[in-house]
Amino acid sequence: MRLLLPGKATFRPATRSLDVRRSPARPRRTLPFLRRVQTPPIFTRSAAGPQGRTRSRIDRMSWAIAVAVVLAVSGCAGAGAPSAPPGRQKVSFLVFPSPNLPESYWKAQVGKVTQAHPDLEVELVSAPSESDRNDYAKQLAASGQLPDVQIGMQDLVALAPHLAPWQPEELTAFLCPSCGAVNGKVVQLPANTQTIPDVFYNKKLFARAGIKAPPRTYAELLAAADRLKAAGITPFVTGGVFVTSQPWTAILATDLYPRTPGWMAARRAGEVTFAKDPAMRAATRKFADLAAKGYLDKRQIGQDYPKTQEAFLAGKGAMYPMGSWFAAAADQSPMKDDIGVFAWPSDDGSLHLPAFTGGGLSVSATAPNLAAAKKFALAFQLTKDNLDASVKADALFPAIKGYTPPEGTGPVFKAVYDLWKQALGRNATVPAFGWEAGDAAMLPGMQGKFWSSAQDLVSGRKSVDQVLAYLDTEWEKSG
Amino acid sequence: MAVGVTRPKPGRAPSGTRGSRARRARRPGARHFLLFAAPGTLVYVCLVLVPIVMSVGYSLTDQALLRPTTSFVGLRNYRLLLQDETFLQSLKVTTILTLIVVVVPNVLGVAIAVLLDRRGWLYNALRGVFFTPMVISSVVISVIWTRVLADDGPVNQALRALGVQDPPGWLSDPDIALYSLSSIVCWQLLGFCVVVYLAGLQGVPQELAEAAAIDGAGPVRRFWSVTWPLLAPALTINTVVLLISAFKIFDHVKVITNGGPGTGTTASVAFVVLQEGFVDNRTGYASAEAVVMLVVIAALSVLTLRILGRREVQL
Repeated sequence: MRLLLPGKATFRPATRSLDVRRSPARPRRTLPFLRRVQTPPIFTRSAAGPQGRTRSRIDRMSWAIAVAVVLAVSGCAGAGAPSAPPGRQKVSFLVFPSPNLPESYWKAQVGKVTQAHPDLEVELVSAPSESDRNDYAKQLAASGQLPDVQIGMQDLVALAPHLAPWQPEELTAFLCPSCGAVNGKVVQLPANTQTIPDVFYNKKLFARAGIKAPPRTYAELLAAADRLKAAGITPFVTGGVFVTSQPWTAILATDLYPRTPGWMAARRAGEVTFAKDPAMRAATRKFADLAAKGYLDKRQIGQDYPKTQEAFLAGKGAMYPMGSWFAAAADQSPMKDDIGVFAWPSDDGSLHLPAFTGGGLSVSATAPNLAAAKKFALAFQLTKDNLDASVKADALFPAIKGYTPPEGTGPVFKAVYDLWKQALGRNATVPAFGWEAGDAAMLPGMQGKFWSSAQDLVSGRKSVDQVLAYLDTEWEKSG
Repeated sequence: MAVGVTRPKPGRAPSGTRGSRARRARRPGARHFLLFAAPGTLVYVCLVLVPIVMSVGYSLTDQALLRPTTSFVGLRNYRLLLQDETFLQSLKVTTILTLIVVVVPNVLGVAIAVLLDRRGWLYNALRGVFFTPMVISSVVISVIWTRVLADDGPVNQALRALGVQDPPGWLSDPDIALYSLSSIVCWQLLGFCVVVYLAGLQGVPQELAEAAAIDGAGPVRRFWSVTWPLLAPALTINTVVLLISAFKIFDHVKVITNGGPGTGTTASVAFVVLQEGFVDNRTGYASAEAVVMLVVIAALSVLTLRILGRREVQL
């Protein structure tokens, strides 16, 4: 029996037969929001003495906690997916922070696009770090949370099933529309070119060691390293995981790829292996010898990438084999006029410059609004202001038809850009080993193993034979 | 106003099973127990037990998170594990790391606890100091130590100032990095050991030590014959906790060395499992590694509990 009375409280007679503590004569008072609900006895105000009151208090507390949890969970669920204002299409965009590209850079670039396209609303999702961005994206993809648009994904083979292919008519503005294709499908805008590595050098340290000009052959490079070492100067700055591998990539660019440009495809097909290919073995031995001669300081391999960059800019070494993006940081440093650039020299002095084209935006195949996501990606990639900003902030070479870099770039950028143009003019660009994209890339997960193996060679922990055998073993596992 | 009240007779259960079940359900203790235990149990079942069962299932497949198709491969992943240089290396690394992390904080912890087992504000403050690393995030600790042990960090700068020409590459030398990493973990876990041993020391009756002293036992003899046997429960707790913490270590490895320098010099089993699963995209294989890790941890924990449990004495 229930009695509904005017006012806030509902009085209800006790109906539970086994609640012996309760006085049958006293009605129970329910909370207002439970008026029309069959009220359990725990909302009853007890009149059965202190023990009953305590229990009743515990009961109320229990229910309060339960209600709070339910409200919190429902609140969280509601807060997860705010919708875009009417008339605007929401796009999430996975970016990554780096020394050259802080959060403010991404916000400014996105702001330019949304200003030009007011119908787009972009939510930035930041990867934990530059080096973790691919693993982060893979985890998001595996759990069905890949943001609508991503930038700079490297493991395209693994991610390809989750990415929307670009159609040829969408790629007409790009210089290399088929670069980075996976099974013939382009899933990432081939937006820019980077040369990996160039050799940046400290002109003052070269002069102090009596070196008058940058080396043009490999023998001259060794001679320069020897003179630097004799003068008490560390010849090469190295450090971290991928930085350590840069000279190896450079040697493979001069010694392996010019003769066998399809080496990676042959490795994928099982036609060559790391351990049995003489050119691979010779190039790897050259790299290991650099460390054995003390030109690479094995104590530096434990330092991270930003500290390695700082070390070169602080004059702690004479040469720094690094991707062309380093030019941006170099141009912002006080010693920008003292930094020169040359291509890693080959034995005979011929020019071979490792380069990679890709690195642009990709779009999730499951983006709720695929058309809006693609529209944003293309707008981001083709806006002149954005391209100019990417040149200044990250020293990228936009691979866009008709594009020319803006005025006012620094001397180091001009040097790396001129070197690339020179290599293009002489048809002397080759793939950058370990940085290839799509079908031309290593198998998923192999890039990190290649980089770690470089550390093994520099530290002397493994021999050339052991490293090459290890890479073959890991390759088979990855396949 | 009472409607339909049927009071049971005192001292007599209501007839029928339904009645007794209903009464049991309404017992305040049982109801509260269910109410409070249900969320925790639910979380434990959903986030621990179910994933373990699922992992065992995945370990029998070639599952890759980013690949739509998965095939049953039976025990192939387990067979491959036995020949996998990376996994075997990670087992070796984890064994060395575990030995160090179990022994060093235990030894130092008991020594420091004995020194701190006194009254006074200074000792209270020192207890806080020793416990502080334990409450700081492992990632923060790792970042700090990475800077401290860098080639140009304060440790090597101090060594150079003392005349050491070529100080060690604490994190860059493959022969040293694992020991540097272990030291950092020991440093962080030391506070936990100290606190557990202090609690154990405070449970040692003073009368026993006094009786031993009257019998002519010196401080060392009193410690070995009276205090140490009574610290057995604390030793058991510390050993099992350190064993499990060391065997599943991931965050320190990820931040400080990322498994390097080089290939796998400091890569623990947990680190390799996550690399295989989320970087190399081989979830089935990683699950097999995780199952092996689970079995090893469980076996070691049970063994440790049995061996150390025998030492425990009842007062």
